[in-house]
Amino acid sequence: MQYQKTNPPEVQKVLDFISHLKYPVILGVIILFGITGSYYTVQPDEEAVVIRMGRHLKNTQPGLHFKIPFGIDDVTKVKTKIVHQAEFGFRTTSVSSRRTTYSSKNFDSESLMLTGDLNVAEVQWVVQYQISDPFKFLFKTSDPITNIRDVAESIMRRVVGDKLVTEVLTTGRVEIADNGKLLMQEVLDKYDMGISIKSIKLQDVNPPRMVQASFNDVNAAKQEQEKMLNQAEESYNRIIPEARGKANKLVQEAEGFASEIINRAHGNAERFSSLAKEYRKAPAITRKRIYLETMEKLFEKMDDITIIDSKVKGLLPVFSKEGVTK
Amino acid sequence: MSNKTLVTILGSIVLLLLINSTFFILTEGQQAIVTQFGKPVGQPITEAGIHLKKPLVQEIRYVDKRILNWDGFPNQIPTKDKKYIKVDTTARWRVVDALKFIQTVQNEQGAKARLDTILDGYTRDVISGHNLVEAVRNSNSILKKIEEKKAEIKKKKEAGEFILEEEVGGEIASVDVGREQLSQMIVKLADKELEALGIKLIDVQLRRISYEQSVEKKVYERMISERQRIAQKIRSIGKGEKAKIEGRLSKDLKEIESKAYRLAEVIRGKAEAKAAKIYADSLNRDPKFYEFIRTMEAYKKSLKGDSKFLLSSESEFLKFLK
Repeated sequence: MQYQKTNPPEVQKVLDFISHLKYPVILGVIILFGITGSYYTVQPDEEAVVIRMGRHLKNTQPGLHFKIPFGIDDVTKVKTKIVHQAEFGFRTTSVSSRRTTYSSKNFDSESLMLTGDLNVAEVQWVVQYQISDPFKFLFKTSDPITNIRDVAESIMRRVVGDKLVTEVLTTGRVEIADNGKLLMQEVLDKYDMGISIKSIKLQDVNPPRMVQASFNDVNAAKQEQEKMLNQAEESYNRIIPEARGKANKLVQEAEGFASEIINRAHGNAERFSSLAKEYRKAPAITRKRIYLETMEKLFEKMDDITIIDSKVKGLLPVFSKEGVTK
Repeated sequence: MSNKTLVTILGSIVLLLLINSTFFILTEGQQAIVTQFGKPVGQPITEAGIHLKKPLVQEIRYVDKRILNWDGFPNQIPTKDKKYIKVDTTARWRVVDALKFIQTVQNEQGAKARLDTILDGYTRDVISGHNLVEAVRNSNSILKKIEEKKAEIKKKKEAGEFILEEEVGGEIASVDVGREQLSQMIVKLADKELEALGIKLIDVQLRRISYEQSVEKKVYERMISERQRIAQKIRSIGKGEKAKIEGRLSKDLKEIESKAYRLAEVIRGKAEAKAAKIYADSLNRDPKFYEFIRTMEAYKKSLKGDSKFLLSSESEFLKFLK
């Protein structure tokens, strides 16, 4: 009583007010907390793990769910439907609507690895995984993401380590990715951490930057070789068919010549035979006629005829001036 | 009435504290040890949920039950074949005996310090006790593949096919132990010591193995010179192939031309022979007349108008001139 009396009137007023209202208000606050803490929603890409008094009770699927409030039920939501991606040897720096940019700087230690023939290759890859068991994901290991990264790096080196560098750079990509996926899953299953590897995808696989130029030179040499062979084949294809045509022409010409001279021979022979037949009937006069006709035609053309009498002795032939000056 | 309320409030607070200290909640992923005045009591509790304890006298110490990570510092280690490499290891471990764990290393930090020394040491021992290939490769499948490839190339070469050997060289020794075995060796050796700490190793992963910088440079130089050699070879093979085609061209060209010439001449010769026979058959019937008539024809054709002509008066043609 005395204690209450010492209170100043203002405080007394407040106390009175509280004592007047206290039960409904406190009850109201408690009920309010209870209501807001007694339900939760799980998004379509999630699954929720419900822990009651520290103990795993159940997992709940997307939708509205109820729980016991006041920290008795503890709900953790995990994105189980999403395929997560871990990048090695590069990082996606920005994903804009137009173009995704990547950075591969300063990730050499991640991407450089020894191949089976003790050469070095630069491998960039991604691991796609899904959380298959949210409870295990949360409570089986202390740092599941680090585990995934560590195992991915170790396994990729193990797979690449069993290949020749040429295989790694060319034909071995699919095999590396497939083997890597299997082995990674095997190791992660040992940890029992609720991760399922969807795929491993190799990105850029290159020789180390320092030796890249020389690798390119080999490709250039291959191109050059191809080009050189093509050029040689081209000139072969240009020259040989033409030569064949020409050869054919030569043979055809010879055949033409052959039929020509044979026909001419036949013609001439026939003509002679006919003439000879008549000649034999009157040899002397025919002979004379032909001789004279020939001479006539011959001398008709001649401009310069000198007739020498056989009785004149010691004659020097005399030529015209033009003949001398020429 | 007021005193009474005060007592009830105080009483209920004390009661709550008492109740609260008679049980404790163990969350998933944890284990606990109950100590009474600092002395461990009973077995470690590993089941999640509500557990009872004696109020006031007993205390709870929590230990992680999950698989934990250990990340080693990248070490430079010479291998048995004197190659300097950097080895970066990680390990996963868990507390299997919480009591021992608490007694020997207290907490995770203490455990990590011990793990550092133990794992680094054994990694060093195992790596330096083996050749580099053992840490890189896991099997000898690569050797088999090389053998197969060699056989294939040999076969193709025998079949006369053109093969370009452009494999990158390197050291391909056979592997006796292999990468996985090496990490298991580290696990086995380390596990023996870690057992005393209540720790069990799940695995050790050789996360990264890389050449030390000076070695790396030499490897790169070798790769470069090798590529240059191959590029050179490709170029010279190309030139050779080109010369082959050019040779074939000139051979084929000459063959075609000469064959055609030969054929043409044969045709001509045969035709000429045939023509000669035709002439002979016909002309033989009257050779003298042929001689005459052919001579006449030849005069007409061969004697040109601008020739100088000396004619004897004895000539038959001029006999009437006298």
